[in-house]
Amino acid sequence: MKKLLCLPIAALIMLCSCADSSSEHIKTLYCMDTHMTLKAYGDKAEAALEKAVGTLVDLDAKWSVTNTDSEIYKVNHAGGGTVQVSPETSELVSFGRDMYEKSDRTLDISIYPILLEWGFTIHYYKVPAQERISKLLWNVNASKIGVNSSGVTVPADMMIDLGSVAKGAASDMICGELRKAGVESAVLDLGGNIQTLGSKPGSGKWKIGIRDPEGSGIIGSVSVENKAVVTSGGYERQFTENGKTYHHIIDPSTGWPAESGLVSVTVIGDSGRMCDALSTSLFIMGAEKAYHYWRKTGGFDYIALTKSGELLVSSGIAEDFDLDKDHKNIKVTVVK
Amino acid sequence: MIRSQKFWIAVCAVIFAAGLAWSIILLTMSHGDKVTVTRDGVVLYTLDLSKEPDREFTVEYEGRKNVVEIKDGRIRVKEADCPDHVCVRTGWLTAKIPIVCLPNRLVIEYADSDLDAVAG
Repeated sequence: MKKLLCLPIAALIMLCSCADSSSEHIKTLYCMDTHMTLKAYGDKAEAALEKAVGTLVDLDAKWSVTNTDSEIYKVNHAGGGTVQVSPETSELVSFGRDMYEKSDRTLDISIYPILLEWGFTIHYYKVPAQERISKLLWNVNASKIGVNSSGVTVPADMMIDLGSVAKGAASDMICGELRKAGVESAVLDLGGNIQTLGSKPGSGKWKIGIRDPEGSGIIGSVSVENKAVVTSGGYERQFTENGKTYHHIIDPSTGWPAESGLVSVTVIGDSGRMCDALSTSLFIMGAEKAYHYWRKTGGFDYIALTKSGELLVSSGIAEDFDLDKDHKNIKVTVVK
Repeated sequence: MIRSQKFWIAVCAVIFAAGLAWSIILLTMSHGDKVTVTRDGVVLYTLDLSKEPDREFTVEYEGRKNVVEIKDGRIRVKEADCPDHVCVRTGWLTAKIPIVCLPNRLVIEYADSDLDAVAG
């Protein structure tokens, strides 16, 4: 009789083990003008994700360039005065300013007035007159941004926007929070900026697709763990006027959309904000300059798709890159 | 004695059958054509495209509209009054890339994919 009692208990245990996959926890939200999906695993995931959502909403409130209560809005409308900001804002402005020189002046967080003139921030597009662009370019120069213990200062005619680094920085922050809360496995998708924590439960590395700029599929995928994967491409936001297509990645040296011969650039590395910044920078640099930049600085890998349909893959990620089966016609070149 | 034995065997059989049924549901689900339609982070519909009849429906956000079309087991945004029409240009949904309308906060995506995320 007692032996028989074990059977239903055993059956119940089997039933419970079937439900193991339910330890995946997912949160989706709209934040920073984009769609975000946060996935984490294990019994600590749910509470940690709740907190991460709060952090994202809080960072958006601080960094939004349009919200009149945000710290960045106050900095932009202080008439050249210094504005006291939170440590995370001060840190990110400082990072953005330093990236200007570090990226050979391709990433400039003070490009915002030009983006505004093109209408990219409000989805109301137009091609500005060259005169207007030239005039606005006078006040685009991130090295004039002041950051110290008393706050952030930008010149009266300058406006900054953290859009090119905010999602990467936010993913770094919430990734750190999740790790601290004891979560060992997570994949964070902040509007196509991907950050992975640890490895995928049960199957090793995370498989992250790289969007095909031309169609609605992917060109390939990378297998990673504990890495950020960020792609920049003109296709993300663009419009066509008089038969010519204009995209949103503006070259700070000209004020016009970058025409570097690249269609998309993916950067893989440890730091989300660095990948975020560099994906934009390498796109603006073009294949040749990007290669030399990678050789010189290191610490990251990249995958660049050229207009002629060639895929340049840096040697550090080549083994973990898979070309999509529908794109076998793409020529893959491993750069060393 | 025999009666209680029969009872326990029946209990085991029921639990086993439930487990089997659940496993089958899980296995068939991961190979299905399940699509989710999400607005502003909230799932509005979960649709099985293999069973949906051809039809159109409208999703509204702050007065703006996206017309979603289901035809021959496929789904797309047919019309939209957003300024950039990225969602319409994406065309029919593929297994890998979601259809996204940022201004209207609409996302249509397959519930299953072998990818953990897509960068871009």
